[in-house]
Amino acid sequence: MSHITLTAKAVARSVDCRTLLPQALQGKTVAEITAMKLAANLSVADVFEVSVDTTSEAPAVTFKNTTSAHQYIGFGMTSGQINVTGDAGDFLGAQLQNGVLICKGNAGARAGDRMRRGMLLIEGNAGDYCASDMMAGTLGVLGTTGAYLGYGMKRGTLLLANTPAAQATWIDCGFHTLPFLNILYKSFKRLDSRFAQVSSQRVQRWMGDMGGLGKAEILVIQP
Amino acid sequence: MVINGVEIDDTFAEAFNMRGTRILITAQNLRWAYNAANAMTGFATSVIGCGVEAGIERELTADETPDGRPGLSVLMFAMGSKVLMQQLETRMGQCILTCPTAAAFAGIESEDMISLGKHLRFFGDGHQVSKQIPDASGKLKRYWRIPVMDGEFLTEETTGMVRAIGGGNFLVLGASQAQVLTACEAAIDAMRKLPNVIMPFPGGVVRSGSKVGSKYPKMFASTNDAFCPTLKGVVKSELDPRVESVMEIVVNGLTFEDIAISMKAGIEAACRLGKENGIFRVSAGNYGGKLGQHHFKLRPILSGEVTA
Repeated sequence: MSHITLTAKAVARSVDCRTLLPQALQGKTVAEITAMKLAANLSVADVFEVSVDTTSEAPAVTFKNTTSAHQYIGFGMTSGQINVTGDAGDFLGAQLQNGVLICKGNAGARAGDRMRRGMLLIEGNAGDYCASDMMAGTLGVLGTTGAYLGYGMKRGTLLLANTPAAQATWIDCGFHTLPFLNILYKSFKRLDSRFAQVSSQRVQRWMGDMGGLGKAEILVIQP
Repeated sequence: MVINGVEIDDTFAEAFNMRGTRILITAQNLRWAYNAANAMTGFATSVIGCGVEAGIERELTADETPDGRPGLSVLMFAMGSKVLMQQLETRMGQCILTCPTAAAFAGIESEDMISLGKHLRFFGDGHQVSKQIPDASGKLKRYWRIPVMDGEFLTEETTGMVRAIGGGNFLVLGASQAQVLTACEAAIDAMRKLPNVIMPFPGGVVRSGSKVGSKYPKMFASTNDAFCPTLKGVVKSELDPRVESVMEIVVNGLTFEDIAISMKAGIEAACRLGKENGIFRVSAGNYGGKLGQHHFKLRPILSGEVTA
């Protein structure tokens, strides 16, 4: 399996990273990856330094030095793992189908938009419309969240370290100790992430978005 | 063959192909794990009347369970996959779902996965929540969270079903009921230390061994009169005048080796009491060798000819 590291070069424009997925880059050489087109007039070589480690146990992509200009990271990912050591732009992990996406920095707007499965873990802050129209899966944010959190969210779990602003279409279900969190936290322990340190099973549960299906939950971790 | 003055008959136990599964039950503490597991494995001594044969395999420490709580592993066996699936679902619904703080997880991997909480989830009446979480090896497992009055009932969606063997057995023949029971208790204590087997009868011991058929046309099994001490002289008895009591230990396991090893451990423990404590003979139950697919020959097993 290959672990591909993409180190971002300084850019003055937004970069659409949706094609740079672990499964899409598997088996490709550095030359093949650098030649890939990100837009009509933009190739990977223009915006990333590429290195490939073929001794990895699992397919993975690591983005380094990225900023809010790097959008659509992990878009539609179906397997493997993506690590973002810097910040990420809008639509981080949008339409995620499976796999694990860890962002150590901040994410832009619409993180986890229409996500269906898998885990999106943001160690920094998330922008507006985080988890919008999310269909299922687990989205964690250790920092703060922006406006319209979980807008149109149908199912799935939004795990937060900080209490979000109250919203009319999200209903407070009170405080609970949930046994499944132990299993979820156990799966975090395998990851190189601050999420591995989360241990409290005590949460405040909100359900929403009542403007739609209303079967999603926000779990705010209690100290 | 004689061990510590106890004669080992040159005979064999006749066992059958079964389907088996393992379930891990956890709870807030072992007391409640036992409450759940005892209910689930209750009335599961024999497939003849109970549908399944089930028992507690062993205790699990918090490190060994998926949710980090203390628990128990339970083995369940049936003659066919359909009955096993049916019984597992019924017992999950009536014994685990109902037990405060209890949760259930798959205890065995197999290509044949059967429902653990897959259908039970509908008890949630639409409020049930599915979570797919990777296990230690990164493989995704699906769990169901079902809202119940004590909080949330957590169960894995499926568990594995494997080919297994049921009906390994041996008989302990001795001078008195009390002495034979003491020997059987020692045997059960030794056998419970071993993995992949359960002894489904009360306390692991059965006193009403049966033979095929009966004088009554509607009965397909009846008392094993050849081993009933009060019928010595009346029927064609297997017992000599000294024997006043016979008890049987039945063992079900995942493989032939598992059963053979546990039978060896059990017989050796029973024989340790020896002739001076009223244990005279060890025999085994069979149907002439024509019904069961597996024959556990006592003497080769005790000579250590079967190893894992």
